[in-house]
Amino acid sequence: MSVGHVARMLEEAAIPTVIIAAAAFRTRMEMMSLPRVLLTPNPMGRPIGAPGDVKGQTGVILAALDLLEHATESGSIEVYPHAYRSGA
Amino acid sequence: MSDSEKLAAAFRDFKESFFYGDRSNLNFKWLAHLEDSQAADFFQDLLDGIGTALDDDDLQNVVDIVNRWQAEGYRIQRDFDYDSGPFVRLEKSLAEARLTLLTSSGHFVDGDDPKPFGVENMSQAEAERRVLEFLKEQPVLSQIPMDIPAQDLRVRHGGYDIHGALADPNTAFPLYRLQEIADQGVIGGLSPLAYSFVGACSQKRLLKKDGLDWVERIKTQQTDAILLVPV
Repeated sequence: MSVGHVARMLEEAAIPTVIIAAAAFRTRMEMMSLPRVLLTPNPMGRPIGAPGDVKGQTGVILAALDLLEHATESGSIEVYPHAYRSGA
Repeated sequence: MSDSEKLAAAFRDFKESFFYGDRSNLNFKWLAHLEDSQAADFFQDLLDGIGTALDDDDLQNVVDIVNRWQAEGYRIQRDFDYDSGPFVRLEKSLAEARLTLLTSSGHFVDGDDPKPFGVENMSQAEAERRVLEFLKEQPVLSQIPMDIPAQDLRVRHGGYDIHGALADPNTAFPLYRLQEIADQGVIGGLSPLAYSFVGACSQKRLLKKDGLDWVERIKTQQTDAILLVPV
């Protein structure tokens, strides 16, 4: 919730945001009407990816940056398609 | 109390003990939010998954089971239901944009301890014990140079299991991955400072004062967009 509030305040100050969150928080993210959210199929506390999984972590961030650039309206929620430690 | 009622109560105590109780485990604290029958189904699914993994050596199914039930544990939220939200477009292309990282993972620089409740070098165990106090506490935003050596980075947060973040900060505070992406020219650059705070904090204080102050601080970084990571 904290990060959702900060995202809303930043957008109100005309600074675009993108959030990367574990998919467990989907309901929270939806209810807070956030600008852009990438949900990852990763365990809580490791939303970007598993320790040492450089490829997976990079893929998640690149997907979030794509969402940052291309989303056209608030409430843009996407799901990262590759599983935790998938090597993709 | 009948025998079946005693059994149900014992199971409920067991389920809830993972939420800061005598079996506290922050990877599984959401068990306390499940109905008793759901928690029972989770354990059955988990044991089935582990049994299968004994033969096929594929733990992905176990991860999927945990993630599925964890999502169930967080399905209900009563507060902060907004009908609409603000949205601004990124004015530049990514390749020209300067980004800032902000997370609620509780990272800070060695020597710049936010000292919750005035306690310096608070242990992770104490932060977990005092999590309800954190939820009433004013949040503190730590600033972290993007070029900080990993050995100078600290993390403490009573709300989630920090073992992943200790093994690799990029799991929740992806500063080194962002630097690589900037070096490749995918983004125009990064602000010299990143930010982190303990997300388990007073939401009222965050909304009324601190969050607004943080926005002004972040503006001084002349950033074009913020990448946010909750834990």
